Amino acid sequence: MVVSESPSITASESSGTRGASNRRAVTITGRGSDISFIIDEDAPISKVARELSKQLSERQGALFSEGGVSVNTGRRSLTAREKAAIRKVFEENSGLKVSRFVSTIGDYVIESEEYPEEPSRHYPWRFLTRRSTSSRDELDHTFTDLARGSGRNHTQAMLIQSTFRSGESIHHYGDVVVLGDVNPGSEIKADGDIVVMGTIKGLPHAGASGDSKAAIIALEIASPRIRIGNCEASIGASGNDKRGRMRRKDAGVRQPSIAYTRRGAIYVSPFAGRSARYTKGVLYDG
Amino acid sequence: MTGKTIVITSGKGGVGKTTTTANIGAGLAMRGHSVVVIDTDIGLRNLDVIMGLENRIVYDLVNVIEGKCRIRQAMIQDKQGLELYLIPAAQTRDKDSIEPAQLRELCAELEQDYDYVLIDCPAGIERGFKNATAAAQEAIIVTTPEVASIRDADRVVGLLEASELHRPRLIINRISADMVRRGDMMSQKDVESLLAIEVIGLVPADERTISAANRGVPVVHDGRSTAGAAFHRIAARIDGEEVPMVDIAPRPGMFNKLRDMVSMKGRAYSHA
Repeated sequence: MVVSESPSITASESSGTRGASNRRAVTITGRGSDISFIIDEDAPISKVARELSKQLSERQGALFSEGGVSVNTGRRSLTAREKAAIRKVFEENSGLKVSRFVSTIGDYVIESEEYPEEPSRHYPWRFLTRRSTSSRDELDHTFTDLARGSGRNHTQAMLIQSTFRSGESIHHYGDVVVLGDVNPGSEIKADGDIVVMGTIKGLPHAGASGDSKAAIIALEIASPRIRIGNCEASIGASGNDKRGRMRRKDAGVRQPSIAYTRRGAIYVSPFAGRSARYTKGVLYDG
Repeated sequence: MTGKTIVITSGKGGVGKTTTTANIGAGLAMRGHSVVVIDTDIGLRNLDVIMGLENRIVYDLVNVIEGKCRIRQAMIQDKQGLELYLIPAAQTRDKDSIEPAQLRELCAELEQDYDYVLIDCPAGIERGFKNATAAAQEAIIVTTPEVASIRDADRVVGLLEASELHRPRLIINRISADMVRRGDMMSQKDVESLLAIEVIGLVPADERTISAANRGVPVVHDGRSTAGAAFHRIAARIDGEEVPMVDIAPRPGMFNKLRDMVSMKGRAYSHA
């Protein structure tokens, strides 16, 4: 992992793919002989490919980099197939080679991993939600499509193996699993579910691409505000107690909980399995 | 001889980084180690004042890095004659005067001759923080049991883990035993469970710390100070000695003791 200044990627909070249409999908920056391409994290991959090939052919011969170029994908991670598509655009339109893909989490740039295409067998709950239907041309898949319907089984869980701390922020196209607490001042956006083996006190957004079937599961949910799909719930003016802990009606009750949406509102229930029918949840308002 | 470089940082200002650096430095030196403390708070130097060495400054950290003097010329020996040396920060320059790589190089050179190099990090997470943390192999985070300070410490732990400084250790400073007992202040356990990192020391709030700093004699030299004793224990733990934690606010009663023993069981830390 390499610390560096985070590139100026605007994180659109709730606008999703719609608000991104006016921004440039591809930005080229150069430092010395290093050229890097910054891809708008909300733009559909087909638009990125189109704009990339346009920009590359316009500057044919003007761009030159010996060691290959790096592609910054902002806060999203690309699948192997999408990476291959981007590589192909570079090969066809210029003599440049992509040496690495990087993505940004908070202040850090993370050398991205290769995500396997096949659904993993290690996540049995995947099969309980929805089965994959048909698959269209990958290039036309926006991440919204990926999370919805067809691509759901393609999504891989991102495993965060430590406490997710203040100032850290992530947007993953699949599910996110945190093996620790999610501390205040952090943000997790996942197009799938968010599962936390600890207490959530940060701001989680499950089903960030508009999937209201997504859920947030944690040993304790104590966030001031949670979002699922297009729904949002916040704890009112409850404030903290004199030792700085959140004051809640059920304070001190720590039990595995699930937050889900029903009729446009967010409810919480004691966790009883991902596919259980939840009917006795309470409105999430603290 | 190869020493170790440890950065003392916090994120938030005013939690006692500089006091902690001076005291751990003196504590380690009193245990017979050779120690160099470096003040990287360029433009806002304080460590020299707390160690009582303000009047002896001729050269500073920026002079050393710019090659205007040799390292030895900028090193000021401790007043008590310990094997403890201070490299002061420049007061008339700013954080941009040095690069992280330059400080790393300086510390690598000092590690050849000294057991411990302690870096006093400035508040904030900008350039000064990056300079200070780039040079260190280990980090100690200082926090007070207050929400704002803990929030900043949490951010700093994240930043340190991302820059490959894993397993930072925590000092909880200025714990008021009375307030903890009354339930008005977060206890060690509250802080520990929030930050999920190893605690290396608890320092009680002690007025003697302030008067000692004003006199320019770190409180570890004060045999009657509870904070001084806490810093001695921290120095021993940094040295690799197993020193049991002392409960700052012991609650009376057998029942509480039993309950604590049960709740401590199975506690796990999450490290990256």
